[in-house]
Amino acid sequence: MSLKTDNRAFGVRTEDGIGDAFMRGAVGSAQDSLKTRRLTAATTLGDWERWRELGQQIRQHTLENLDYYLGQMADNVERRGGQVFFARTKEEASGYIRQVIENKNARKVVKSKSMVTEEIEMNHVLAEAGCEIIETDLGEYILQEDDWDPPSHIVAPALHKNRNQIRDVFADKLSYQGDETPEHLARFARKVLREKFLEAEIGITGCNFAVANLGAVNLVTNEGNGDLVAALPKTQIAVMGMERIVPTMEEMEVLDNLLCRSAVGQKLTSYITVMGPRAEGEVDGPEEFHLVIVDNGRSDILAGEFREALQCIRCGACLNVCPVYRHIGGHAYGSIYPGPIGAVITPLLGGYDDYKELPYASSLCGACTDVCPVKIPLHEQLILHRQNIVSQGRTGAADRIQMKAAGKFLSSPGLFGSTLRLAYSMTKLMSRHGRIVRGPGPIEGWIGIRDMPQPVKKRDGFRAWYENRERPDGAAAETEVADRTARTAGDLKTTEVGPKPGRDVSVEEASSRIGRGGDNA
Amino acid sequence: MTTSFSQPDKRNPAGSGGSNRDAFLSRVAESLGRPRRTDPVQRPAWKHTVHLDTLADRTTEQLVEVLKEQCTFIHTQVIESTPALLQRTLDDLIAGFGGGPVIRSGDPRFAEYGLNFPGGSVWSPDASREDNVRRAEAANVALVFADYALAESGTVVLESRPDQGRALHFLPAHYIGVIQRDRIVPRSTQAAAALNRRHEAGEALGSCINLISGPSNSADIEMQLVVGVHGPLRATYVLI
Amino acid sequence: MKVSIFSTCLVDLMFPGVGRAMVEVLERLGCETDFPASQVCCGQPTYNSGYLEESKQAMINMMLAFEHSDYVVGPSGSCIAMFHEYPHVFAGDPQWEMKAIALKEKSYEFTQFIVRVLGVTDVGAKLEGSATYHRSCHMTRLLGEAETPFLLLENVDGLQLEPLKNSDNCCGFGGTFSVKMPRISEQMVDEKSACVAETGAEYLISADMGCLMNIGGRMSRTGKEIKVMHIAEVLNSRPAAVKGGIYA
Repeated sequence: MSLKTDNRAFGVRTEDGIGDAFMRGAVGSAQDSLKTRRLTAATTLGDWERWRELGQQIRQHTLENLDYYLGQMADNVERRGGQVFFARTKEEASGYIRQVIENKNARKVVKSKSMVTEEIEMNHVLAEAGCEIIETDLGEYILQEDDWDPPSHIVAPALHKNRNQIRDVFADKLSYQGDETPEHLARFARKVLREKFLEAEIGITGCNFAVANLGAVNLVTNEGNGDLVAALPKTQIAVMGMERIVPTMEEMEVLDNLLCRSAVGQKLTSYITVMGPRAEGEVDGPEEFHLVIVDNGRSDILAGEFREALQCIRCGACLNVCPVYRHIGGHAYGSIYPGPIGAVITPLLGGYDDYKELPYASSLCGACTDVCPVKIPLHEQLILHRQNIVSQGRTGAADRIQMKAAGKFLSSPGLFGSTLRLAYSMTKLMSRHGRIVRGPGPIEGWIGIRDMPQPVKKRDGFRAWYENRERPDGAAAETEVADRTARTAGDLKTTEVGPKPGRDVSVEEASSRIGRGGDNA
Repeated sequence: MTTSFSQPDKRNPAGSGGSNRDAFLSRVAESLGRPRRTDPVQRPAWKHTVHLDTLADRTTEQLVEVLKEQCTFIHTQVIESTPALLQRTLDDLIAGFGGGPVIRSGDPRFAEYGLNFPGGSVWSPDASREDNVRRAEAANVALVFADYALAESGTVVLESRPDQGRALHFLPAHYIGVIQRDRIVPRSTQAAAALNRRHEAGEALGSCINLISGPSNSADIEMQLVVGVHGPLRATYVLI
Repeated sequence: MKVSIFSTCLVDLMFPGVGRAMVEVLERLGCETDFPASQVCCGQPTYNSGYLEESKQAMINMMLAFEHSDYVVGPSGSCIAMFHEYPHVFAGDPQWEMKAIALKEKSYEFTQFIVRVLGVTDVGAKLEGSATYHRSCHMTRLLGEAETPFLLLENVDGLQLEPLKNSDNCCGFGGTFSVKMPRISEQMVDEKSACVAETGAEYLISADMGCLMNIGGRMSRTGKEIKVMHIAEVLNSRPAAVKGGIYA
């Protein structure tokens, strides 16, 4: 797996997602349940906004001093007997890991879930080197057995698969003979994977947070696979994106609390572990420990206007509330990082050539920004991407012409006035029964599936009404506001002396303009 | 420049702390628009103390209640016992899980409470790595004493030591953590602070610190919770 | 109290009744209104599409149009939220930053103005029937106003509010999103329409004509029966004959 999971065009991938009824049902119900769980966890904790601000401050402080903390981390890992490799590119990172394994003449590798190892195409490189790599996170294992189907969610990678599909994969690839009950499937995987853990020579983990002053790696899981990966094999390689670091366990603790609640609505997940190389006298744990710190484009992000994106703690909360992700699923993003955070960081890591559609795959509803536990202004960053795409001349000619024209028209009272004057007659040929039924490019996308009212004649418009109406009697109006205020205060005996009768005709105004009842269907 | 570190030394791929380290960190500093920062950075005064304040005013008795309630959400049974009854409580639990083999840590508190598990094994630095792992893998029940317990999250905190390995917590099918009431703190904040304090005072912490909150579980199949995946199938805390 | 009306382009082009209702309610509540005729659009369509420079011209036009206003009130949480974004857009711009801040500080969405500035939660409206309310994302999240429509609707005589499932999900409008990503927008509006239909309400109410045009237009096309009303129209609904002092 690499950052890119699909070479087809965005539109094709989106259609695939939209057409996958099971996936959409699964994503929808997962979102509904995770959303509620997150909200409950945040509410139970209390002071959530302060927690978010604290999380944001910790992440920003760490990023502002990233060189220092990475240096401190490296010193401490080495002090504990581990080795640290700083990889500027994905090739360097996976090349180093391959070299470590080859130096040990090892072949059997177990790994726990790590997005950055996907990003550096590690599995591919290690497979080429003849290693047997086993993903031990249940979701990842299912995907691996299904011929490396890409993950579709950063926390629940196999969210798009149902139990029957999983049973079939296990039956085909592993001669599983049981039924599709999740518990049975999980028990089967436990048994198969237990053997793999016990015979593995190399364990590869990700890193939720590096703890700089301790020289340790923090892993947050529910299954316990990460812990077995770090306990049993004699060599452990931990891989981290360079931004995933905290000063001490005290800050780690705050972020773990935000992470667990935001990701799955748990106070803490079952296993939170802070680990390093085996210490003198201890029995298990890695005798040889390597930490690979990956840049792979992150320093460019750090230098630019998207720095806040590096605050991300990979909780997936933004995916769980995103209405676009809800309908197209993770694969449509064509990246191992889907959803709103994926739409922000994928173009930064993979470039606009391949990913310039992603920043537009958002209605800018702001749900992502609202839930982000470290306050990344996600929807604003999507707008920022759009600005860059425009300023780099990457939008189509038609879009440019339309938008430039719109810019003129929306800033000129004169042009807009003419439009109000002409809109009705200009749209006359396009309309029937007060609805627009055909039109050029952008309008087509709208009226293809929705009714759209025809603009009104200028003399029927709001501005004409406002100019020509009778002004109300100011004194009487003053009385009414006193009346209304009193009413609010609960004194309902005040006499109603409104200056103008309400207009019953306005009651259904918007309704009659928009149309009702599908008479145009 | 980049090619020089894309070809790591075959013997010692990371080199001496990585010749690539300086270039890498300089680039990070450059991205931050300033020279390399190597003098110790002071953490700022954090603008909120929510983590310190949460549950901070609870008495031990109240914390026990918080812990017990939380455990109902994490599929973890809590049994209240006493030092005098502890052996019996544990024996009953083990029997309830179908008996041994039992493996326990070498924690001195087992001796202090006069606990004995005939036929059981002990994680021990005197045995080989392979033997310890084999016994843990064969064990039906693991027994440990918690260093701290976190009320809010229903968590036991344990440090690795020569007589308490990492795999001990994960290989056996059932996991029993004994919690002494005076080791209960409000939440992860206090445990993290205590561990960090010890570290900063120069004490060597275990190479692995585990915060364990109940049995292993997964919701990777259709978001349906399955309890017991790679780690223990069941977790039980005994409060004394 | 002097209030400048910000009509918004959709109201100007297609929904005169909404502007009318807003003006009538505000005047009935004692406000003196004016309509700065040089106003056009808040600039959101181009801004959200990434055309920053093109948008700035529209924004400058609005800052000038409302330069002398005490309050600016508009029938759209989304357009007002755009005004609130101006200081961010013009941050550090010596000529416009202060004007952007000034416009932000005096701009209110219609229901927000009634409740937060006028201090009124019962405007004496009467509308018989059941309704469901769609919260627009921009009003709720970007403007940060989630309460005022409900405070006002609760006091509409005869109106029964039905809860809307998944009310926090976007309806799929998103301005240019609906035409740039029509297929995704379609899925979103279909789910929203289904949730609206499920309430069985007679009226669909919102404080943003963009969302209403989207949901209402889709429901109309797919034959789902519902009457669409902007909240200004609801608040301007009065008993057929004014009977002095009785209906209170």
